[in-house]
Amino acid sequence: MTKENRNPKQKPQAEKSSSNLELRHSSVIRHSPAGPKLLSKGRSFVIYFREWSVAFALFALLLVLAVVAPGFFQKSQLLSICSTAVPVLLVACGISLVIISRQIDISAGSQFAVCSVLLGLLVQAHWPTLLAGLMAILAGACCGAFNGALIAGLRLPSIVVTLATMATWREGLRWWRQGEFVRDLPESFQWFGLGQAGGQAAVLVTTVVLFVLVVFGMKHFSAGRFVYAVGSDAEAARLAGIRPARVTFWVFVVAGALTGVAALLNAVRFADVDPKTGTGIELQAIASAVVGGVAISGGRGKLWGVLPGVLLLVCIAPALVFLKLPPQWEKALQGCIILLAVAADGWRSAREKG
Amino acid sequence: MSTNPTAASTSRAILRFETLLALVLLLEILIFSKTGVNFASRENLFEVLRLSTEIGVLALVMTPIILTGGIDLSVGSMLGLCAVLFGKMWRDGGLPIPLALAGTVAVGAAGGGLNALLITRLGLPPLIVTLGSFSLFRGLAEGITRGVDNFTNFPKSYLFFGQGYLFGFIPAQLPAFALVAVGVWLLVHRTIFGRSFRAIGFSPEGASYAGIPVAKRLALVYVIAGAIAALAALIYVARVGQAKADAGTGYELLAITAVVLGGASIFGGTGTVHGTLLGVLVVAVLKIGLTLSDQPSELAGILTGGLLLAVLASEALLKKLSARRARASQASVSAPT
Amino acid sequence: MRHRICAAECGLVDVQPFDARASKGCRAAFGWFSILLLVSAAGCTKLDKNADTKGSETKQITMAMMPKSKGNAYFISCRKGAEEAAKELGTKLIWDGPTDPDPARQNEIVETWITRGVDVIAVAVENREGISTALRKAREKGIKVITWDSDAQPDARDFLINQATPEGIGFTLMDEAARALGGKGQFAIITASLTAANMNEWQKFIEQRRSEKYPEIKMAALRPCDDLKDKAFAEATAILNANPEVKLLMAICSPAVPGASEAVKQSGRKDVKVVGLGLPNDNKRYVRDEITPSVILWNTENLGYLSVHAAVAVARGELKPGAMRFKAGRLGELEVKGDNVLLGKPFVFNKENIEQFNF
Repeated sequence: MTKENRNPKQKPQAEKSSSNLELRHSSVIRHSPAGPKLLSKGRSFVIYFREWSVAFALFALLLVLAVVAPGFFQKSQLLSICSTAVPVLLVACGISLVIISRQIDISAGSQFAVCSVLLGLLVQAHWPTLLAGLMAILAGACCGAFNGALIAGLRLPSIVVTLATMATWREGLRWWRQGEFVRDLPESFQWFGLGQAGGQAAVLVTTVVLFVLVVFGMKHFSAGRFVYAVGSDAEAARLAGIRPARVTFWVFVVAGALTGVAALLNAVRFADVDPKTGTGIELQAIASAVVGGVAISGGRGKLWGVLPGVLLLVCIAPALVFLKLPPQWEKALQGCIILLAVAADGWRSAREKG
Repeated sequence: MSTNPTAASTSRAILRFETLLALVLLLEILIFSKTGVNFASRENLFEVLRLSTEIGVLALVMTPIILTGGIDLSVGSMLGLCAVLFGKMWRDGGLPIPLALAGTVAVGAAGGGLNALLITRLGLPPLIVTLGSFSLFRGLAEGITRGVDNFTNFPKSYLFFGQGYLFGFIPAQLPAFALVAVGVWLLVHRTIFGRSFRAIGFSPEGASYAGIPVAKRLALVYVIAGAIAALAALIYVARVGQAKADAGTGYELLAITAVVLGGASIFGGTGTVHGTLLGVLVVAVLKIGLTLSDQPSELAGILTGGLLLAVLASEALLKKLSARRARASQASVSAPT
Repeated sequence: MRHRICAAECGLVDVQPFDARASKGCRAAFGWFSILLLVSAAGCTKLDKNADTKGSETKQITMAMMPKSKGNAYFISCRKGAEEAAKELGTKLIWDGPTDPDPARQNEIVETWITRGVDVIAVAVENREGISTALRKAREKGIKVITWDSDAQPDARDFLINQATPEGIGFTLMDEAARALGGKGQFAIITASLTAANMNEWQKFIEQRRSEKYPEIKMAALRPCDDLKDKAFAEATAILNANPEVKLLMAICSPAVPGASEAVKQSGRKDVKVVGLGLPNDNKRYVRDEITPSVILWNTENLGYLSVHAAVAVARGELKPGAMRFKAGRLGELEVKGDNVLLGKPFVFNKENIEQFNF
């Protein structure tokens, strides 16, 4: 049972970091992106057990629904689930990057709300939707940069910094808007003015493209490899010529930008903006990432696992409606799934070590 | 053995930090005495302590957990679950209050035990385990009450512990708060358990090589956390006079804020109980002082976040400065004459 | 290895060399500071109840007013009316409320106001039993207490400013739903959260009205939306897809009405309607599009206005128990029923009148 030390610069730990190096080394080899190509198909299934098991759990849930309540598979319901999943998926991608680099970001929900409200206000002031959207994404990136500067620059612990920024942004927004919707937006705002079908298609296509880009980028771009390296062992990465502070900073900026995109794609579904939007999205995103195989200890996790994770968690609420189950079990179910997924992972790695 | 210059300068840094926090508290008190109506009164002093009892107790018990490098996000939800179960045991189970109290604490310890089991047996990161139990406990509380049920009309003798005043001015929950504070302080600063928590926080492998039963010690902190969360639930129900599933929402983050403000490193290994108490006081005085100064509640949230960042940033800068100074003095010591 | 077992625990191996020294130092510092605090506290003045009005000739009333929570747009217009009344009467109005979801936060703020010493407290109650504890304490200290928008226990307050009884709200909602359904069919309710006390009361009266007057109408589902418009949208879509016979959505929290209406609009179903409790401004477009035949509320500005007038009157002793009528500024004379000051009945906004309102 190991607890990884998150601060490699602690002075009395000089010996520790080299033993860390050995431990990290083995995990890097086993889980590096290049690894699976050298292994057989069967072995890769074992390695990616978590990702497959999530997909399996999702499949099982869908099977139950298909038998008991086939109405779940209506086009409008599937579209609704996809629409709900879009912002969670994008935020989860960003948060996965953060978690892989061995940090955490619980301020994503507040960033989401700030970007949404900013978008709404700009559109209200007659900015074109796309330009306002760009500004919202930029705002998200700025929020991320603020987090990143404190975390990478001053080396403050990420959970505390993002806790503080989460509270500050959320309360500040609440003070400013007092809960009032941003209304009276021009017709060209909803669905980018493309009409419902066109807009939904545009949103889905954009999400899929972005997701594929992120997955591809993490796997094949050296920047992606740097994130894994920094998450595995920042000291080793530094010795290898990577600059952990810079990587961490940009990871937060990218996560913030992805949150901004998520806010944009979510806001255009409606005709007005609720400043309470995005409440709880960071927990959903972190849960999806973890359930989907991204290890909270950093340095490990395939991003494509996030997709079944998101779908699984997003399907719970409508599944309860279709299965006619009482709604108050939603939270308990979510908690159970998270614990089961994480326990299975822990049991597997305990078995591997022992 | 000549003093290690790094140790001396780091100790000065830590010393400076907690003094910094005490200065912040003093500054708050001075400002609010001017702007707040009736802030500088004996009643208010006791009210501040009284209203911060539940979060204070949670922060106190969070300190050893954070010392070991872990975290417990489920204490607020545990509070809600315990409150609801207490009400259920008393109203629907017909148990007399003392028995229901004992049962609630047992449930709290069991919940902490669940966390402990997953963290120690399966080696899972505490953040994720307690994130899962955070949802699970709250969900159970909502499920048990179907969200609607609200347990009220507790006997006056029980409600006294949350609403009554001893000798006319000491709030009845203060003795419990003081007891927990003294207990946790002794645990962390005087017993071998406390020393082992720090050791585990610095390096679990090193601690286990030094012969510390890491799993048992971790299990101990999480179980205690669960039991104390149950105690906080009992005080909460007595103070508010009702037990509902949404009790204690958000308390875990407030507790963590207090602990981190108090100087504990979230990575583990450093932290003091008196620092945590200072942190609790700083946040509570800020909140109450702003209300007494007729300022809106949002300001409390914004300022707490800002204060947390400012205090952490200044701590980091101080450490950098003293490290630089230590390197300079080391260089001058080792430089050839 | 065995010889090392006791090492750390017996203190022979100093696990944290610098901490021991530091803890001594900061304990000393802390000790001095806490002594300082205690000394300053002991030497402090006792609670001053009239702190606000020291030195002024006519006693200015200080009133503390609390909405249910501060993130809800409904209370923005209440505040507007309240501040208008406060300016009229020359009252100092403190407006604050919980921003945390924790239900005990209302209690904390009320207890802090007791320490501050205000003349009258007016609360829109979130938790009936919970807040009564704090309100009773306020009354013991001589502070006048009224409730507005939703009530506490009757012995905890002097008056309730009632815009509409929960019975009135529940019955009106069910009547409007029945009218939209044509007397029979299925409907579903979207509420904010399962724990919200006032919504549970409304649901009780909705069910009572349904079983008494509209037995042909059945409730198919009840889902919470956590007071979020986006979630209400998702829940409404799921309900419509899972229960094709549901022809009416009843949204009883203000973000849920536009959320559900948007869901109906995007589903393309012309046979489904939405009624609910919400702000006119949020729902104008859906009422125009005939998705939402009626939105029920009351004049929230007047509610705030009346609350302040009544609170100040109670504080000055002008409004006493047993009064039958109460004159509230520009609202004229209003009925007082027992300890309820009545603003009036729930107001139904529909296509004919919604454009006249701006809140």
